[in-house]
Amino acid sequence: MAFIELDQLSKSYATDAGQVTALSETVLQVEEGSFLGVMGPSGSGKSTLLTLLGGLAEPTSGRMLIDDIDVYALGDEKRADFRREYIGFVFQAYNLIPYLTAIENVMLPLAVTRFSAVRQAELATGALNRVGLGHRIDHLPNQLSGGEQERVAIARALVNHPPLILADEPTGSLDSVTSTEIMNLFTQLNRDGQTIIMVTHNTGIEHYFNRIVELKDGAIATDTTLKSEPVAAVG
Amino acid sequence: MNLFSIALRNLQRRKARMAFLVIGLLIGVATVVSLFSMSASMREDAQHKMENFGANILVTPTRNDLALNYGGMVLGGVTTQTSDLIEADLVNLDTIPNARNIAMVAPKIIGVAVVADTKVLIMGVDPKVEFRLKRWWTLDGDAINSQQDVVVGSQVAKTFNLSVGGAIDVDQKTYRVAGIIQPTGSQDDDLILVSLPVAQTMLGKEGKLSFVEVAALCGDCPVDDMVKQISAALPVAQVSAIQQVVKSRLHALEQFETFSLAVSIIVLFIGSMVVFVTMMGSVNERCHEIGIFRALGFRKHHIIRLIMTEAVMVSLIAGLCGYLIGIAAATALLPWVADDHAHVLLDPALAIGSVLLAIVIGAVATIYPALHASRLDPADALRNL
Repeated sequence: MAFIELDQLSKSYATDAGQVTALSETVLQVEEGSFLGVMGPSGSGKSTLLTLLGGLAEPTSGRMLIDDIDVYALGDEKRADFRREYIGFVFQAYNLIPYLTAIENVMLPLAVTRFSAVRQAELATGALNRVGLGHRIDHLPNQLSGGEQERVAIARALVNHPPLILADEPTGSLDSVTSTEIMNLFTQLNRDGQTIIMVTHNTGIEHYFNRIVELKDGAIATDTTLKSEPVAAVG
Repeated sequence: MNLFSIALRNLQRRKARMAFLVIGLLIGVATVVSLFSMSASMREDAQHKMENFGANILVTPTRNDLALNYGGMVLGGVTTQTSDLIEADLVNLDTIPNARNIAMVAPKIIGVAVVADTKVLIMGVDPKVEFRLKRWWTLDGDAINSQQDVVVGSQVAKTFNLSVGGAIDVDQKTYRVAGIIQPTGSQDDDLILVSLPVAQTMLGKEGKLSFVEVAALCGDCPVDDMVKQISAALPVAQVSAIQQVVKSRLHALEQFETFSLAVSIIVLFIGSMVVFVTMMGSVNERCHEIGIFRALGFRKHHIIRLIMTEAVMVSLIAGLCGYLIGIAAATALLPWVADDHAHVLLDPALAIGSVLLAIVIGAVATIYPALHASRLDPADALRNL
């Protein structure tokens, strides 16, 4: 059985113009250790797919299993626990809490766990070191560059070792050099066995993925496997 | 990192909003504290006066008469039986159960004497007690120090053109005017005071008394019970409590307390509205942030606790500051509404109560904003995901 299974997953929204189907009866399996790129034009359903994968919105119909757990059969609070334990989010605009330092932002997913303050600090420092930002742990987000904020966001997604990382346009607001660094970081994480699903417009980073799903009008248009093994980091 | 530290860091960042919240609640708490402190001090002051200024129990001979006067117009009376009190019986007062609550016993005899062919009311008193009991008397000259001394009321001094140190003939016997009581606006202005034995001899009533004023310390004693005890100790006497003045003052105080309560409720309601509106604004402003927390695995009750923790922290500060400012305001305002010697009482119960009140109001006013925050759809809150 695949690590992630989407079974006829649909999502519709009610608008003034009527019902809009953002994702239509999607069927998808993702194996553990994949680095999946989700691509497609604006309005194709990429963000809706990522939102559903993250357990953040109820589908209109269908079922989603992650690690054999029927995510949307869980209650709201149990789904919050599921997100904390299974999913690391890397948001498009980093979404760091502005009044918390880098290490405090990374510790956020641990704030509602039973980890002691010392253990939280150890885990957060480890995650920041892993993304190469161990020297800036006490800086506030506004004291960090875009690339550094992205690294903090990745460290926050990694800190509690979730099986799945969902990333939304992580290179969208970065220059090409920093984008390469960030994609290399994701590649390294994938080589370490991390399952990653990344939504992006950026066709220049296609070669980092081992599989690409292209959405069009709320449905999967193409599903291409590029590499069977996790890719090597590109220098 | 825990919910408390996140809440603390948020408050540290939003200093202006926190200050606005604190001030909103603080004004309410300070108002309550100042009004309650003032009314407590005024009540204490009223009790103090009741205990230390003037008699509150009157002992008179048993009589069966009907007073025929109203509004200062004296039309005479119908007296069917009158008897004098016996001075020696006053020792019985030491035997009553609440004897320790008796502060002063002021025996008196009254009668009519003649001064320059004019009838004048004369009153024999125990000078050591009387001038302590009547603390509102302002005396020019001295009190009665010997059996040759008299103290006269202002009207008497004016009528007979008397001055301190001068002489006055009462029933053909000469006395020295030791002092003159400044106008009181009462019957005291028409009195000549002499020592008790002198008056008893002058009136031919040795060992007898017309009435006795008793000052009882009533902070911890029931006056009505003492009246019954004195009645039992002096069977021939009629004992009554002088409560009208005290009761009218206490009634005014009760009205002030009711007013204080009404003002407090209104101000606290406004304070709670300030908290509600500010916290609602804060939640709406932080939708995105709350969405991040929810996406990272915070449960709904974590969000509620986070918002409530912020409210409680703000309320705690507002309660402490409100108490201190309220006490300062009461200290500043009390001289305007009470006598100089009244002072603000530092009551630990009021301090704890005001802090708890602030916390309860802050928490109650934040319940809905906290619930609203917890119900935010994380997907809606994170539009750009």
